[in-house]
Amino acid sequence: MSEEIKPDEIVNFLKPRLNARFKMWLNICARCGLCADTCHYYRAHGNDPKMIPSYKVRFLREILKKKGKVDRDYLQKVYDTVYHECNMCRRCTLYCPFGIDIALMISLTRAMLFSQGIAPEGLVKAIDNYKAFGNQMAVTDEDWVDTIEWVEEEMAEELVGLKIPIDKKGAKILYTVNAREPMFYPQDMMEVAKIFYVAGEDYTYCSKPGWDDTNLAMFCGDAKTSKLIVENTFKRAEELGVQQVAVTE
Amino acid sequence: MDFYLFVEGPLLWIAFMVFIIGSLLRAAMFLVVSTKKDKIIYENFSWKYVFTSIVNWLLPFNKSVAKNPVYSILGYIFHICLVIVPIWLAGHISLWEESRFEWSWTPIPDELADWMTLIFLAIALFFLLRRIFSADIRLISGCADYFLLIVTALPFLTGYFLTHGTLDSVGFLGDNMTLIHMLSGELMLILIPFTKLSHFILFFFSRGASGIEFGRRGYSI
Repeated sequence: MSEEIKPDEIVNFLKPRLNARFKMWLNICARCGLCADTCHYYRAHGNDPKMIPSYKVRFLREILKKKGKVDRDYLQKVYDTVYHECNMCRRCTLYCPFGIDIALMISLTRAMLFSQGIAPEGLVKAIDNYKAFGNQMAVTDEDWVDTIEWVEEEMAEELVGLKIPIDKKGAKILYTVNAREPMFYPQDMMEVAKIFYVAGEDYTYCSKPGWDDTNLAMFCGDAKTSKLIVENTFKRAEELGVQQVAVTE
Repeated sequence: MDFYLFVEGPLLWIAFMVFIIGSLLRAAMFLVVSTKKDKIIYENFSWKYVFTSIVNWLLPFNKSVAKNPVYSILGYIFHICLVIVPIWLAGHISLWEESRFEWSWTPIPDELADWMTLIFLAIALFFLLRRIFSADIRLISGCADYFLLIVTALPFLTGYFLTHGTLDSVGFLGDNMTLIHMLSGELMLILIPFTKLSHFILFFFSRGASGIEFGRRGYSI
């Protein structure tokens, strides 16, 4: 976390990202309250008015009004709301007479906090890992390939002749996983290998970054890293000339 | 009397101009900024989703009606009265006929207009009480929300007083009800482009934009 809050930085971050929809929505919300009981946080907190979706986006309006002149305590309050009281499920949008997309505005608020160095520790760590290793768990390319080969060996005992293709050009499906699978749950990969084998599907893993289909950077509005992650997968898909990418996450 | 002439003439022109030009500017601003900053709308543009999204909510065929039938239906009635009474009231149409435009169209019966006004006022009062007494709505309401609800209801209240002479015996109010009625209407018109009341036009853009945002994933809202 950086120590000081820089108001111009906040404003300079928000202004260009405050698109026409956000401006309109901040302006036309009629405070009718129809979004209240559509929110599972509201319901789960005994209908606590503080959980009303339209109330949760007030920060964006306030920060802009104050021209970014807010203190760390305030941003901590914003953090608690946008991370712990909204998971951007968009259900409120389905019930809003104007179709106001609260989740998009929460996402922008998260991105602003991230620009000020405020984000959940786990996400920040994951983002560093994505940048360095291409996956959220910091699995190296060697370890990844080793894991697949180990899974293959294990499964070949049960299903003779089972192979797990890696970097197979022209395969039909590029199969991607959550990086937690090679790390903690290789049994998931085993089950999948079985299914593919029995089904006779033409699939492949890729050995280089792009095989992790989680995108945790998206959750703190880090669009740059978010894009990098998706681009990796696209690159691999193009190199291998697959028809489909299976995203299991 | 001078002030009366001003309110009846120039101020009415100003109010209508601010209302019309202001609203169009709000819409134009959305279009201009969105072509630069909301490209996703245009990249995925689909009349089908725009149209369904607007129609489903202009008519009571949507999720909120099913979830909150009482409030939603009251909301619909509120808006129907709000639009119909001022435009199709015989008293207003005759003023248009006398005006330089000499426009004329068929009015609704005065008795219906009376009922619609009373229903509108009752709903407005309910909305106001709801805003004051519901802990939920009170928390999300700002001064503007109370103020604008009153601004919206005033032309109807004063209009009713005016046509029925309810307060004719009450000194100043009785003598100046026409003036107060015109002022309240003009105030509302002038405030529309600058406040949340602009949703009368931005509703369509907002629903369209979100209709596309969900539509591009194959889901109609």
